[in-house]
Order: sequence, then C-alpha cells, then structure tokens
Amino acid sequence: MTDFNIILFMCNWGPHAAYQALQDTGASIPDNVKMVRIPCTGRISKALLFKSFEMGANGVALVGCEPGSCRYGTGTANAQGHVEDTRGILELLGLGKDRLQLATFLPDESGSLLEFLKRFSREIEGMGPSPIRPATELIPVAERDRAIEEVVSAHDVYACQDCGKCSSACPLTLAGKPFSPRAIANAVIAGDIDSPSVQKDVWACLTCGLCYDRCPSAVDFSGFIRDLRDILARSGSDRHASHGEFFQSLMRTMTSRDLEVRPWQWLSSDVRTDPGSKTLFFGGCAPYFDIFFKNFLRTRTREILVDSLRLLNFFDVHPALLKEERCCGHDLLWSGDRANFLKLAQLNADAIRDKGVEEIITACPECYSTLRRDYPAHGIDLGCKITHIFDFLEQEIDKGAVGFKGLDRQLTFQDPCRLSRLENRPHLPRRLLNRVAPNSFKEMKDSGISAICCGNSAWTGCDSFSKALQVKRIRQARSTGSDLLITACPKCQIHLRCAMEDPFLGEELNMEVLDLTSLLARAIHWE
Amino acid sequence: MMTGKEKKTSRLEIIFTGFGGQGIILAGRILGKAAVIGDHRESTLVQAYGPEARGGACSAQVTISDRPIHYPYVRRPDVLVCMSQGGFDKFIDQMKEGGALLIDHDLVQPRGFDKRFFSIPSTRIAEELGRKMMANIIMLGFFTAITGAVSVEAARDAVTDSVPKGTEEMNAAAFNRGCDYGLAVLKGLEKKAAGRAGA
Repeated sequence: MTDFNIILFMCNWGPHAAYQALQDTGASIPDNVKMVRIPCTGRISKALLFKSFEMGANGVALVGCEPGSCRYGTGTANAQGHVEDTRGILELLGLGKDRLQLATFLPDESGSLLEFLKRFSREIEGMGPSPIRPATELIPVAERDRAIEEVVSAHDVYACQDCGKCSSACPLTLAGKPFSPRAIANAVIAGDIDSPSVQKDVWACLTCGLCYDRCPSAVDFSGFIRDLRDILARSGSDRHASHGEFFQSLMRTMTSRDLEVRPWQWLSSDVRTDPGSKTLFFGGCAPYFDIFFKNFLRTRTREILVDSLRLLNFFDVHPALLKEERCCGHDLLWSGDRANFLKLAQLNADAIRDKGVEEIITACPECYSTLRRDYPAHGIDLGCKITHIFDFLEQEIDKGAVGFKGLDRQLTFQDPCRLSRLENRPHLPRRLLNRVAPNSFKEMKDSGISAICCGNSAWTGCDSFSKALQVKRIRQARSTGSDLLITACPKCQIHLRCAMEDPFLGEELNMEVLDLTSLLARAIHWE
Repeated sequence: MMTGKEKKTSRLEIIFTGFGGQGIILAGRILGKAAVIGDHRESTLVQAYGPEARGGACSAQVTISDRPIHYPYVRRPDVLVCMSQGGFDKFIDQMKEGGALLIDHDLVQPRGFDKRFFSIPSTRIAEELGRKMMANIIMLGFFTAITGAVSVEAARDAVTDSVPKGTEEMNAAAFNRGCDYGLAVLKGLEKKAAGRAGA
C-alpha cells in the first residue's frame, strides 16, 4: 500500500477496455493509482469501499459503466447507492466525502478516463495523506489454550452443572438453531475448542444474558463468550462479522488519533446546546446507522438523539456535545477486538477529561452500559457520573406539572438487553411507559428480564436463525393487539425493521416502530 | 399574582385551611417558625379552635411581616391554601383580589373560581411516599416554592425542627417533593407563556 495510495476499482467491462487502451499507448497514468480489476461495480459493497480507507488508502475511485450500459443491468445503480452512502459516512467521520468518487466510462472513452485519473490524483494530493492509520493488528495469543483456560477459570465456567436451564431459555436455541450455551461451555472445558461447531457457535451467541439470568450456578456466559472471542480472533478464527464487517471497520478507523470526526455536524440549530455545560450528551453511532441502512430499512435512529436533546431542552438542560465523540467501542469489545476497544475508550476518555464534565447522559443502552461498566472495568476512569436519559426523565417528570398528550395507539415494548438484563433495570422504561400510556400499554409474552433479543448483537453471526428469532418476536408483538412497537435501542429498531422487510411474510410482520424517547418527546407537555 | 420572584413584600397574610387532623395548624406553625427563626422576620399565627378542629373546616391564619404585627387576624388573605372543599367554599370569597390560590388537586374543586390557581396532588403524593399525614408538609413545600414567602432553607429547617423525632428525614423528603413540584409548576407556566409547552 505504501506506493499506491489511490485504489481504483475498475469494472471489467466498459472502462477496463478504455484503461487497457491507455496502457497500450503508454499513457501516463498517475503512478499512485493502484488498479483492482473487478467484475462489476455493483458488487463493491460499502464494506469493501470502506475497507480500503481502513487500510490506509488516501482515495478510492470506483469506475464502472455508464448507466444503461451495465452488462448486468443494475450494477451501476447499485454502485451509485453504495458510493453515496459511503461518502456520507466518510463525511461524518471527518475524512471528507471527496476521497471517494464514482465515475463511469464507455470502452472508447480512454481520453476522459485518463483525465479523470489525473484530476482525482491531483485532488487527493491536495487533500494530503489520510489521517487514518491502520488499526492495531490483533496481537496473536502466545499460548492460546492457556489463555482459554484462564478465561474459563475467571468466569468459573467449571461451575456449570449441565442442567440445561440455559438452553431452555436461549432465544437462539428456541428459534430452532442447533446451539446450546452449556454445550459450548462443556466443549471448551474439554479442550474441544477447535471443533467446527464450537468455532462457529462462539460467534453466533447473542450475548443477550438470558442464560446468565437463568443459570443456577451464576456462570456469566455472555462475559465468557466476550473474552473467548478476543482470544479466538487473535488466534486467527473467522469473526463471522455481519454487513461485510463494515461496522467493525468503521470503529477501527475511529481509533486513529488524528482523525477529526464530525459526528454532530448534521444537528439542526434549534436544538440548544452549550459547550460550557457540565452535562455532556453522548450520542452514539445512530447517525452512521441511518446512512448505512437508509436505502432499505427506513432507519431513523438519529431522531433518538434529536428527541433526547429536545427532552433535555424541555427541562432546561442545554448539554455540551463532544465534537470529538467516537464510538464507545461496545461492538468491538463484544466481537473479539479488545485492543481496539481500549484505544477507542482511551480516545473518548482523553476528549472528555479536560472538559470538566460532571455528568454524561446517553440514550443508547449500549453506550450506557459500556461507559458505566466496561470502561472502569478496563481501568478507564471518565471521572463523572453516567446517566441513562430514562433516569433523568423519570426524575424530572416525577417532580410534577408535566403531562402527556393522549395517544390513540396500543403500545408494546421491546426490551434492550443491555439495559433490561445486563444492567438489570427492566422497570425503568416501564415507569415512563406507564406515565405516557397508562391504559394502552401491553406486555409481550416474554418481557422484562425474560425478553427475547432483537436478533443480533455486535454485528456478529447473523444468520437465518437470527431472522427466525426476529419473526417470532414480531409475532409476539403483533399478538398483543398493539399497533406501535416501542424500542429503546437503535439496534433493536434496525434489526426488527430488517425482519419486517421479509418479502414472503410481508404485511403479517409490518408494525410501526418508534423509540421511547421519540414517543416521550411527542407527547410531553407542561401542564 | 405572587410567584417566587416577588418575595420580600413587607406584609403577607396567609390562610391555611382544611379538615381537622390534616395538620393545617402545624403547617401554619412551621411557616411562622420559618419566617421568624430562619428568615428573622415577624410572624403571628391565629388558630381556629372549637368544633372545627374536630373534623370540620379548620384554619390557620398566618401573618408574615418585616415590621411588628399589631393585628394578627387575617381578614383578606393574600394567599389561600385549601386542603378541603369545605375550606375552599368558606374562605374563597375572603381572598384578596389577585391573591394566590393553592389547592390539593384531588380534594378541592375550585368551583366558581375562574382565575389562575396552583394545584398539587399533595395527599396522593403523601400516600406514594408512604404516609398520608405528610400531605401538609408537601403542601408547605409547594407553598414555599410558589410564593417565596419564606426561604426554602428556613422552611425545611423549620419542618425538621417541628415534626416528631425519627421522622425528620421522611418529612424533609416530603417537603422537597412539594417544593420540586412547585418549581416544576412555575417552570411550566414560564414555558407556556413563552409558547414552548412541548418538547
């Protein structure tokens, strides 16, 4: 990568003929361009485009066929969508959207292709080198089996009585997957870590914590899986990342210290914030999710952040925003990349520490749990109180004089595993739900501490059983007779919406989804 | 209308009214103590004795002033606090034009009163906190926040000083609850006046 800092993905069909003509005539193609020949631009996913930047590319050009001349019909249209979304994410990330460009050429347009390449090369030179440094390589574990043994002891997995309460509760097992927490535990203890089923199942676990809740020996299976994943990833195991590993790539790029992220540039000016406030609002990754999923999931998780800020403003809190805010690192920690999680955590801690912040409020259950529990557990002290926005709201609303507009809807609620189980606080969102909709809220069959997962965690190991699980969950929601599914985590919203896109089940699964903060922001008023 | 912003009026006349047994007289005594001991002002209390104190409408008349008070009876209250319907019916016509009316949301319906008033479900909150008899303390907190007739610290100290031993913390919490409610009500009014009632 050292000599070629522009990656050129070049479609085999239209433009490649033009490129070949350039090579044949000995045209002066800029020598910092590294060409990668591909079968169709439509197959270069957002993850692949982004991966180049993660590996340190200064610029990426996707060059394909003119619209209408694609050999496969929709390739160019797909490429346009992928490039547009990835550019949006590069912009939020502070890398600048212009480092990625899409261009199309006919086979005989070698002149304009050369012109494009020269111009792009000049532009990239003008932008300078990318601030992204390839993230910390996974450090191989010296003695893997010793390390695994240590993790087994640390979580006292030996205490497993093989009673089967975990597999009778595990949402994946109940969705029909041949998967069992205790079987994994026993196989690992027996030294069977290399069996193909264990290698796969370790990455399939939802880490939702339901088995831990049921375990009579209190074996924290989720924590065990989290630590095991780190060892396996460092020993070269496939990480089974979903979405082409896009989100893990995104988080790893954020570990570059020189990157000047712009996570809040989209925020409208009527939301009042105060850079000098002692209260900091930590947003999370919702803005990235919305760009990534916008074309097919109608995802609007960014509204959770806007509505949270509006609710804070409602109670006269004008919080500071962290302009250097990076991902909290939750998904790296839970998908086997502790080293880069620690880098992210350290960068966030460094950015927060000098601001004199006394309290961090967040609306994301994963950020909440990670900042509150995992940062200190890894020796990173933020030196302030971590509050979930529901706690703040419950406290303020309880003071009185606040009312809620009546809703002509029937509600049900999807528990976020990080808040309801890992933090053991299923009552918190319910207190708010009972305030806003005392007569029209109905629980699903499995709720609170026993709630079923939304289908995936940490962008890892998604498969057809995840889908079966989601379908089951949405059916539970529908069978309450409710017409509005309230969520409290951006990921629950994304995953359940994904299942609703099923073309075969169609209308049967359709249900409006709304975050609890948005529901509150719409209904709340001073009396 | 009286709010926390116009606190130091030189003389303020208040009537607390409710059922016998609600702690109306105690509320009056605490208020007077707060004014005198905490805020170093003058205060008098006239209690309604007689059959009223045994279940009917009962009342406490409190005067707070910066100068010596020569006449302790309250004929035309600046602030009327009602914790029973009977009390409201009996005293509402005596209230000064533009005076502040504070009521218990669940126990009093301000029939025939078409101006702005302040209400708090003090009895309901007291039940939530575990003791119905603390409704008077909650109302006192609410009164302090809304009227600013005495300072919050003085009133809270007077509460902990006047309640039975062992219940100080509980009553201070009840006072704070009422006070927070009052501050929230004032904030709500301010927001509504600015046209920002929603989020």
